[in-house]
Amino acid sequence: MSVLHVVFRVGTAEYVLPAADVVQMESFSGATPVPGSPAYVAGLVQVRGRVLPVIDARARFGLPPAERNLDTRVVVGQVAAPGGGLRTVGLIVDAAREVVKLDPEQLRPPPPLVAEQARGFVKAVAQVGGVGQGSAGAGGSGRLLLLIDLNKVVGEEQVHAE
Amino acid sequence: MSRPVNLADFLPPYLAEVEELLGLAHTQLLTLETAARGGAPQPRAVRELFRVLHTIKGLSAMVDVEPVVALTHLMEASVRAADRAGGKLPPASIEPLLQGLKAVEVRVRALGAGKPVPPAPSALLDALEGLEGAERRAAPRAAAPAEVQFDLEPALASKLSASEREQLTQGVQGGRRALRVDFAPSPQRSAAGLTINTVRERVSQVAEIVKVVPLSRPGGAPGSGLVFALLVLSSGPDAALAAAVEVAPAEVRLVAQPPPPPEEDAALASGALAGDLSADPSSDLAGVLPEAPLDEEVAPQRHGIVRVETARLDEAMERLAALVVTRSRLQRAAAALTASGANTRELVQILQENARQLRDLRAAIVRVRMVKVGEVLERLPLIVRGLRRSTGKQVALQLELGAAELDKAVGDRLFPAIVHLVRNAVDHALEPPEERRRAGKPEEGLLRIVCRERSNSQLEVQVSDDGRGVDAAAVARRAGVPVPQSDEELLELLCRPGLSTREEVTTTSGRGMGMDIVKRIAVDQLGGELRLQTEAGVGTTFTLRVPLTISIVDAFVFESGQQRYAVPVATVEELVEVDAARLVRGPGGAEARGEVQILERRGQAVPLLRLATVLGQPAGEGGGQKALVVRQRGEPVAFAVDRMLGQQEIVIRPLEDVLVKVRGVSGATDLGDGRPTLVLDLIALGGGAAAEAQRRERVS
Repeated sequence: MSVLHVVFRVGTAEYVLPAADVVQMESFSGATPVPGSPAYVAGLVQVRGRVLPVIDARARFGLPPAERNLDTRVVVGQVAAPGGGLRTVGLIVDAAREVVKLDPEQLRPPPPLVAEQARGFVKAVAQVGGVGQGSAGAGGSGRLLLLIDLNKVVGEEQVHAE
Repeated sequence: MSRPVNLADFLPPYLAEVEELLGLAHTQLLTLETAARGGAPQPRAVRELFRVLHTIKGLSAMVDVEPVVALTHLMEASVRAADRAGGKLPPASIEPLLQGLKAVEVRVRALGAGKPVPPAPSALLDALEGLEGAERRAAPRAAAPAEVQFDLEPALASKLSASEREQLTQGVQGGRRALRVDFAPSPQRSAAGLTINTVRERVSQVAEIVKVVPLSRPGGAPGSGLVFALLVLSSGPDAALAAAVEVAPAEVRLVAQPPPPPEEDAALASGALAGDLSADPSSDLAGVLPEAPLDEEVAPQRHGIVRVETARLDEAMERLAALVVTRSRLQRAAAALTASGANTRELVQILQENARQLRDLRAAIVRVRMVKVGEVLERLPLIVRGLRRSTGKQVALQLELGAAELDKAVGDRLFPAIVHLVRNAVDHALEPPEERRRAGKPEEGLLRIVCRERSNSQLEVQVSDDGRGVDAAAVARRAGVPVPQSDEELLELLCRPGLSTREEVTTTSGRGMGMDIVKRIAVDQLGGELRLQTEAGVGTTFTLRVPLTISIVDAFVFESGQQRYAVPVATVEELVEVDAARLVRGPGGAEARGEVQILERRGQAVPLLRLATVLGQPAGEGGGQKALVVRQRGEPVAFAVDRMLGQQEIVIRPLEDVLVKVRGVSGATDLGDGRPTLVLDLIALGGGAAAEAQRRERVS
């Protein structure tokens, strides 16, 4: 049984999230900074009448800041709230243009080096479009997709004022 | 026990009605308790209490809540006995009746929550049953208890309920006569204006009607087989009763023998009277909805009142909020058109009219949600009564509530805070009577609650006591910190969350219990203010200031550090121009963070903070021309902003996610451009910044 995933790019890497965990995708036109919030929190955005906190994926993944452009997207996802219930949080990514179907067999634990660098944010890797997958290109190399653990990316840091 | 499905439709109105009736019952009982201490009879309150209990019983029988029926049946019986005693309720009966109301409330709540309704506690039922006997003994005209024999035909006796039989019994024991008179309606009598209704009215003038029973009598008066049998209690002559029904006096019949003298007991036992009937089990079934003779005064009908669920009002407010945001967008679009050179005079006029309409609509909806502060606090006397009993102290509660109204959401939050203050005052502040006597005070402590509208958007509530005051040294010792030097510092100490979890030293006076809850409600949840004034041996006053409504507020909008912000107008004391030439640099020097300057304002030095600096943002160019003055712990603090943009209505959206829940930010709003704008809590920001400034000054 293959599962639909949303693909998005941060820096040069490509990541996926299950489509069921993604509420919507929105273009990004700036966030309102919230003084005192964690550094990787870009601020607040308003998505269809709802005010959501958004996380800068580049900052969260330790990448240098980049210029925002028309490709920039907000991936709106839902994660479990610390006290129960659901939190709706946005993730600012460099681009998000497609979806893929992944079979469970395609998902493998991340190599130790990737897991170490990703600080637990990557919980699986998947290779797609490899040899024999019906690609039109002759022997083209496959893409490596990193499955995100959105709960860990969002984090549960409580801000302690002062 | 299976319940017919159509009863489900009765449940919501039943719950709403009973809740209201319970409130009325509490009010009447407290009135009667006060009167009982003074020994003054209160027949009106007794009658009203009976009517309320009777109605609860009838409604509960309809929805088949047997425990409530049993409880209210016994309660109403004891109240009826008090009515017989001339409207005087014995003081000893107040507590069991209050516990009865509590038991009813618990069971009604369980029913509303869809949980099993617990049976009525047998101990409480016994206590309530004992009340009736006690009240009967208290009745001045009470005769020696003796069983009353009734002479009634079976058709009539079977319709008599246990409570009606009891009513007749008590009437006879009280020296009145139980009589029966029949009225046969006929066309001739109707033409003469004589109907069962007019007969009822006339009979009630000369006797107490216990029961009116329609009976069919074959072969009776020509043209009609229906006869109404009226059972009454009377102390007047038979002729008066006969005249009221327009029958011969001979047709008035005695239906109960007066109690016999004690020496005739043996003779009575040997010669049982004809017609002696024991209580019929089926009569109890009819008794659940008996006619109430005390109910002769019809309850005043409330005209033009519709109960509205709060959720619907919330939805209306939410729709209004969306309209306000839409209007902001329209204004923005109109401004863009104006900037492009289009002629927008008519459009601007329409927008202005629309703004007025929205403001009126908002005021109307807000007013619908408003409740009188008296309604919010009406349960306080009952709470104080409970505290009197639990502490053994004498407390007089004085309420000066005025006519202020506030949003129900604010009231629901405010009430627990006030309850906490009241509990603390009675538990800790007010001295026992002997201690007060030694201090030269009246033995009865005074607890005073005053409500005032501070402005058109703020309510001030003061809770004062004339107790021993807060012992600052004892509180400091308990918290392990130096003794606070001012009431403001003492309040900060009292509101520490950890303080309330510590065990109290038995010899320590002062209070800490629950003060963090009060502050959390008044300041954090409602965006209000909390102040303390206390004097040893004299008393303590807590002052809460809360907004009347919290959904849509007027706000100042300004720029600071290249970002726009909003601040509710109600929290700003003043908007001042900053004269850079007259600023005095504080001891902080040129340090970037915590830079403090001094602003002179009507002869008072006010610390001036750059808001951009406090928020950790780069300062804008040429900024600081205007400052917002807020009051933090009674002291003014000014925040310099880069540019004022104006004042407008905003809809505050709370920020719930832990990532963005920070101190100093109370929410976000949409000014019409689709981007969130932060709503700042300058008082909270001022606390941190001013405290840091003070610490810096202390260090330097």
